[in-house]
Amino acid sequence: MYNVIQLFAKYGGHILFVILEIICFYLVINFNQGQKDIYLNSSQVYAGKLAAQSAKVSNYTNLNRVNDSLMRENANLIENLIAIEYASDLIPDTDSLYDRYDLIPTSICNSTVNLTNNHITLCSGSREGVERDMGVISSNNGIIGIVRNVTENFAHVISLLNSQSKISCSIKSRNGHGSLRWRDLDPLRVSLVDVPKHEKIAVGDTVITSGYSTMFPRGIMVGSIEKFIVVSGSNNYLITVKLFNDLTNVRYAYVIKNRYGGEQKSLEKEVLE
Amino acid sequence: MSNSIGTNIIRIILLFLAQILIFKHITFGVADFAYIHFIIYPVSFLLLPIRTPSIILLPLSFLIGLGVDIFYDSPGVHASASVFSAYFRSLVIAFLEPYDGYNVDDVPNIKRMGFGYFVSYMSIVLLAHMLFYFSVEAFSFVYVFDIFLKTIFSFIMSFLVIVIMLSIFKTKY
Repeated sequence: MYNVIQLFAKYGGHILFVILEIICFYLVINFNQGQKDIYLNSSQVYAGKLAAQSAKVSNYTNLNRVNDSLMRENANLIENLIAIEYASDLIPDTDSLYDRYDLIPTSICNSTVNLTNNHITLCSGSREGVERDMGVISSNNGIIGIVRNVTENFAHVISLLNSQSKISCSIKSRNGHGSLRWRDLDPLRVSLVDVPKHEKIAVGDTVITSGYSTMFPRGIMVGSIEKFIVVSGSNNYLITVKLFNDLTNVRYAYVIKNRYGGEQKSLEKEVLE
Repeated sequence: MSNSIGTNIIRIILLFLAQILIFKHITFGVADFAYIHFIIYPVSFLLLPIRTPSIILLPLSFLIGLGVDIFYDSPGVHASASVFSAYFRSLVIAFLEPYDGYNVDDVPNIKRMGFGYFVSYMSIVLLAHMLFYFSVEAFSFVYVFDIFLKTIFSFIMSFLVIVIMLSIFKTKY
């Protein structure tokens, strides 16, 4: 305490000077229109410059990663295209799958992964053609979720990591399909249920989308089988699937637009009624 | 001592009134750009005794500046310049200290310190005050040429007025 008093006795004048000048400049900036404008303008100019510089640096340091991901993505798309082309050859008298599905590239604004019900917000909305109940896949192998709500510029997606999500999947080059549920709060693992136990499956098999819904086309890779059990008394497998994509750090996504989705849905609805 | 306080209070009030009633309205300039402003109120706190503690000097200068600001409709501009020159004053006083030092009751006026001392003291501090004031008024280094022009012309004219005034109204303190 004594030291503080001594400090004030010694430097009180300087401290007082600084305090009074701060008060003065506060008054100057707040109550004089001309000075206020100059202050706001130049602070914005400097803040803007700083932000632009930092964005430049962060963009530059991310370039490699972004480039890698884009290349992988391209490769996947080309592979998928070829696969879809070949697949469509096998089904005569229908439009090719290539024509049926459009991809809307977008980026992810906001996402959660730690909750029981996780949600994702996309940076595109109805303006870019995103609609309710469209599927969302990530730039690497893997699915992200299903669009639930759309505004003009944003879309709200129910993540795959959501206790309500239920996506029809099958196992590549084997029979039978089940639905993908998220049960045990692990962002890298999901469960595939309702695959009948008489089907032959093996650890390491690839799980793909089945194409039985209007949201996802057939053959999008989801993950690989890590382990499976048959719950006693049940007729189905309980399969743990390890996802190919890591939803905790996904940044880009594709919204799948099914051109005949509405038609298929209305038909099915008619039948149900 | 009480005599000194009374003299200073009267001087502060009179200079304040002179500033806001008379000199506020006098500006000279080319076309519509006023180069010459009369700023004489800093004299009121620059002529306080040399040993005035800064704990009194700085708030007093702040209040005087703020009072002038109220009439100039520019809150904080004169006040910041006043606080600056009150602070700068102590540096100039230390810089101009005679060989045998100051007496306890010295006042930086013509009568006590001599005309030479007064001119150098008052011109340095007043110039600093003007430079600071016009810089804060412009608030941007874009106008640096205008700031210097205003400072130099206003300083010369104000300083003349101050010397004439102090020659007419001679005070002991």
